[in-house]
Amino acid sequence: MAQGWLYDGTSAIRHEVRLEAAGDDLIVGYTDGDRSEIPRSRLFHVDTRGDFEVYGHAGVDGWRLGVPKGAAAELGPLLPRRRRYGRWIDRIGLWRAVAAAALISVGLVFGATRFPGWVAPFVPKSWERSIGGPILAGLEGRYCHGPGGDAALRKLARALAPEAPDLDIRVVNISMVNAAALPGDRILIFEELIRRAEGPEEVAGVLAHEIAHVENRHVTEAMVRQLSFGLIVSLFGGGTGANLETFLSTRYTRGAEEEADTDAIHALERARISPAGAAAFFGRVARQESRMGIVGRGLSYISTHPEPAERERRFRESAGSRTDWAPALTPEEWKALVAICRTDPEQNGD
Amino acid sequence: MDGTTTAAAEHGERRRVFEFSGTWQEFLPIALTNLLLTIVTLGIYRFWAKARERQYFWSRTRLYDDHLEWTGTGKEMFLGFLIVFLALIPIIGLFFLASYLFTGNSLAKLLGGLILLALYGGLFYLTGVASLRALRYRLSRTYWHGIRGGSEDGGWGYGLEYMWRTILVFFSLFIAYPWAQTRLWNARFNKMSFGQHRFHADATGEGLMARWLLIYAVIAGTFALLFGFVASMSGMDPEEIAMSASAGLIIILVFIAFYIAVPLAFLAYFSAYYRRVAGATSIAGLRFQFRARTADWLLLFLGHVGLVIATLGVGALFISYRNYSFAVRHLDLEGEVDIAALTQSTTRAPTDAEGLADAFDIGAL
Repeated sequence: MAQGWLYDGTSAIRHEVRLEAAGDDLIVGYTDGDRSEIPRSRLFHVDTRGDFEVYGHAGVDGWRLGVPKGAAAELGPLLPRRRRYGRWIDRIGLWRAVAAAALISVGLVFGATRFPGWVAPFVPKSWERSIGGPILAGLEGRYCHGPGGDAALRKLARALAPEAPDLDIRVVNISMVNAAALPGDRILIFEELIRRAEGPEEVAGVLAHEIAHVENRHVTEAMVRQLSFGLIVSLFGGGTGANLETFLSTRYTRGAEEEADTDAIHALERARISPAGAAAFFGRVARQESRMGIVGRGLSYISTHPEPAERERRFRESAGSRTDWAPALTPEEWKALVAICRTDPEQNGD
Repeated sequence: MDGTTTAAAEHGERRRVFEFSGTWQEFLPIALTNLLLTIVTLGIYRFWAKARERQYFWSRTRLYDDHLEWTGTGKEMFLGFLIVFLALIPIIGLFFLASYLFTGNSLAKLLGGLILLALYGGLFYLTGVASLRALRYRLSRTYWHGIRGGSEDGGWGYGLEYMWRTILVFFSLFIAYPWAQTRLWNARFNKMSFGQHRFHADATGEGLMARWLLIYAVIAGTFALLFGFVASMSGMDPEEIAMSASAGLIIILVFIAFYIAVPLAFLAYFSAYYRRVAGATSIAGLRFQFRARTADWLLLFLGHVGLVIATLGVGALFISYRNYSFAVRHLDLEGEVDIAALTQSTTRAPTDAEGLADAFDIGAL
């Protein structure tokens, strides 16, 4: 027999009650002689308030029973245990729960970083093309088609990727030193990059790298990653400029960059184009960008393709002492490519 | 007990109606395990963490003769969040559709614009709805003597009121803000109840206007200072400007105005606002009072900053604790409470927890 207090949930009045156990029931006796039997399964622990353990009654809103701590021990197994961290965690214990959750979380994070690479091969190309459409819509009218320029580009592409005839490679009249692979097997080269290159081998190196991104579906992979992480939010602004900017700022993973370089070197070697050109280009652009700082107008290649020194070394080493390189383009073709925007009558107005 | 203590109790302040008896030693293990579990669950535990935190705060808060009790659970808050999250997916889809339409012809652009307008309008409306529902949820999970609060109102009408008052504030160049803020407080609390009693709030913007306009004065003063500076420099050559001592002084003054005077003016306004709205809120003949002055608020915030710096960041775990204890310390209730006449609330206990408010990041009141 123990004394406790009770709020019955209908009024705020505090009742003094006597408590006793009867089998699986808790008997609550009121001062006026009334009694009620509460099945043990209906009780739950609410709180520890001063010298009392406070219990609730499932199904009776606001019913609160205060049991003195000493008596709670006496009524023992009839009263439920206190809840601490949440039901599952209380059941298995804090440290085991922490370990299990940490394990699951690490697995999830690992899965999330791998997920884009897993799904990328299953994204239909037609989807990609329709996604790439709006990005390109705003560039309409800025593509350069000066005489002989496209033919020179096609020749480079055929040499570097003979098995991918559907590549859509274009030069855009934007003075930015950069090149980008876009969804739907598209590659954009910005005019300033060609102007700063000191020979077709340099452009071929950059192109081989972008082609490798397309062929390995890194573009799709990056897209899936962007989508799952935050493109949703950044697209709210709308506008092609913002979309393109988002796309250019999309980083490939370090692994994807390395893979693209490895494949680019293979493609160059197979096409007998010297990787030394690409090496020279990376080195020069890096030096220029570091001199001009981030504000350097139109220079963005390094910010989207990090670690130029390491890349320069890889390409230079792969060139090795081999000497049977062939010129990537004839001097005439190269001249036409460099002038692809200037000789395009539609671009001259710019 | 000797006679002197009894006399002191009689002649000193009456026993406080609200009292917070939490200690940092008790709260620290709660805060630390909450942090740990939140990290290892990639943030999902935060709902349970919040429930545990509130459960502790409420249970250490005495009101008259007994303590408060928080019955909200992490599970229901998590479910509330999930429901809102699922409801937001089609909205995100519509945003995508709208941004896609913007790449099309002018008709498509118009359609896209209309969709965006409807979406922003809808989110604006839901922000109002959410703030009422958050208050309703908190009251419905707060028990005292086994009695809880609540509201029959779903906040749908309040959402509209929130919208039009906010739009008017915007058109008044924010001058009408105290007016709208107090009316919205009234609108929220007049829909709330505890037990069988309705809350009653009749705050007005009167008396708050001076403090609100003080903010304008400080900002205008800063600009006047800047203009004066530019005007006085216009005759000088650039090198002379760079060298002059007054240039440095003016820059420091502008800096002080923007980073110290403007926030202080806001603080002065909000401290007056809370005193006023609390004093205009009552229930069952009991009138609330909130006695924190601007200096108290300032000390609270400086205390946060000092604590976080002195503990190299660990003190950030105690910001919610300090805020809560601050609120309870300054809160009071005047009048005689009739416990025998208080009966259970007949309102339906909402099940949506704070999902909506959580999604819009809406604070306590």
